[in-house]
Amino acid sequence: MNNNKSKRALLGGSALALLGAIAAPTTVSAMDGASVLQEKCLICHTRTGDPEAPYSRISQQRKTPEGWHMTINRMQRLNGLVISPQEKQAVIQYLADTQGLAPSETAPYRYVLEQQPNVVEQDIDPAYVEMCARCHSSARFGLQRRTEAEWKLHVNTHMAINPTTELHALARDRSWYDIALNDTAPKLAKDFNFHDAAWKKWQAAPKPELAGRWSVAGFLPEQGDYSATLTITPTSNNRFELTLDGHFVDGTALKGSGKAKLYAGYEWRAQLNVNGTKMRQVMAASEDGQQLTGRMYQVGRDEMGGEINAHVGTAIAGVSPAAIKQGAVQEITIMGSELKGNVSLGRGVSVEKVLTRDNDRIVVLARAQKNATVGARDVRVGQSRDQQALAVYDQVARVAVVPAESIARVGGNGGLVPKVQSTYRAQAFSAGPDGKAGTADDLNLGYMPANWSVAPFNETAEHDKDTKYAGSIDQQGIFTPGDAGLNPERKFSTNNLGNLKVVASMGEGDEQVSGDAHLLVTVPVYIKRAVQ
Amino acid sequence: MKHLKSFNKKAKMLDQATSQNEVEEVVAMQSVVGCTSTNDPGWEVDPFGGLGSLCQPMESDLYGCADACWWPAQVPDTMSNYPEWSQDVAKANEDWRKLDGIFPENDQ
Repeated sequence: MNNNKSKRALLGGSALALLGAIAAPTTVSAMDGASVLQEKCLICHTRTGDPEAPYSRISQQRKTPEGWHMTINRMQRLNGLVISPQEKQAVIQYLADTQGLAPSETAPYRYVLEQQPNVVEQDIDPAYVEMCARCHSSARFGLQRRTEAEWKLHVNTHMAINPTTELHALARDRSWYDIALNDTAPKLAKDFNFHDAAWKKWQAAPKPELAGRWSVAGFLPEQGDYSATLTITPTSNNRFELTLDGHFVDGTALKGSGKAKLYAGYEWRAQLNVNGTKMRQVMAASEDGQQLTGRMYQVGRDEMGGEINAHVGTAIAGVSPAAIKQGAVQEITIMGSELKGNVSLGRGVSVEKVLTRDNDRIVVLARAQKNATVGARDVRVGQSRDQQALAVYDQVARVAVVPAESIARVGGNGGLVPKVQSTYRAQAFSAGPDGKAGTADDLNLGYMPANWSVAPFNETAEHDKDTKYAGSIDQQGIFTPGDAGLNPERKFSTNNLGNLKVVASMGEGDEQVSGDAHLLVTVPVYIKRAVQ
Repeated sequence: MKHLKSFNKKAKMLDQATSQNEVEEVVAMQSVVGCTSTNDPGWEVDPFGGLGSLCQPMESDLYGCADACWWPAQVPDTMSNYPEWSQDVAKANEDWRKLDGIFPENDQ
């Protein structure tokens, strides 16, 4: 314990430079986590005698940092582990670095790590849906690699901790335990193989260098699109300071700063303050070190977040809005970094006036000719080019509300669990060459402002007046659910739940086009894991 | 099922589902990540993708439904992981405001 503390003290400030001259920082960090693991975990776990897998039940698994965090939390909760926050961090770092997942192994499941709301997983093997993914996400097991013996022990862990698993529908009516042990565990061991070559290959590969300046574009539900420069400064091994400096699309300044950790050479986890709001970034560095992609969201309000993409060097990161109507004059914002030179919006679209110009943002007044060809064109600023970034359209023919399936949760009303909102964007399409909306050649016009409303999803929802009780949506597409608790105004004092349609409308009169999404306003959730 | 007559709304929904040979499809429905729909009924989504078959108001029979371990991924199980979760809330329909969420990885 004391030994570990003194090692950490050495890592601070200028001592790092001295240390770097005599030992590789990775070795110090890895040794730190390894020694804590031996001190804390081997009180119960045993040495196997196998140098390839030295510790029982630990060395036969690979997981994300969040996965290891959950495991250590469970050890504290159920098995009497006493560990300080610093020791815990050291073990998580060590295990995520030495028994982690390769970028290719986490790629299909980023949405869960990013706490992305309203994801419906597609094409999951029914064998897994019926066994695992009926309570958990499929990412829960998809983000783990275990040996077959270890997957089997995991079945037994479920039986020990949650024995009612065997009594649920899809369990009690069949030989659940036998199927889990003899069919599912071997299948998991094959599909999510502990010995997958991807991890060894990634461990041997050169890791992305993150220090420096990055061009960032992103979206937040309450503020909209933004662009910024992300500056990353290493402070110690796998630890960084960061600043975010840019603008939201309406011109409001965006200022952020905070700290970040890097796991397994590419998993970026930052905590920062953006314009006074505490936020998190969960991003993955691309293997070539040219991009960081992921999501930034509010601490404690995971649903209030959006995508964030960072690129090395100078580039146009995005155009907002991404479409202009034939004959229209409108403002268009080009976002990126080091935006220098003349602006070109492609054939048939002229720049009437440059309204604002910053390093990361240019706002122009654009005019589309009445006879401009319908379709996407490249946007250029000096030497930078963003391909197919701006579309010219004749009229909006279809509106899709994203996400198509969603939930919000009642909360608040004096209770300890807050409301969980849900946020929507309206994606517009023109009909494309065939003149028919809803076909494969529809032209994607990007996200556009819309008039937002809610409607009953079905007759029951209409009869139960769900639109009156379940919540409301604002003109930014943010739905706020009703209060938690029993509602004596409703039949049987039922909760303020509701089965709703979220409707986005664009245009007026004969040209009005609407789209909708399904929203279930439902009960609070009382458990939330880092990997649901 | 042909000798049984559905009596209430939930039974009619089940009857309709089975008569259409859609049991497998309904039961295996995938819902939004984080929700469970299959634990007769689901916690926040029912097997039909709606709310009609849920326990509501959920506070009225929370312990009867959730204890000790029925929706362990959504409601703290008092059997193993969180034996004290609802200890101070004898009647959830009266004291539901005292029920707290457990979000342990938030400290990362």
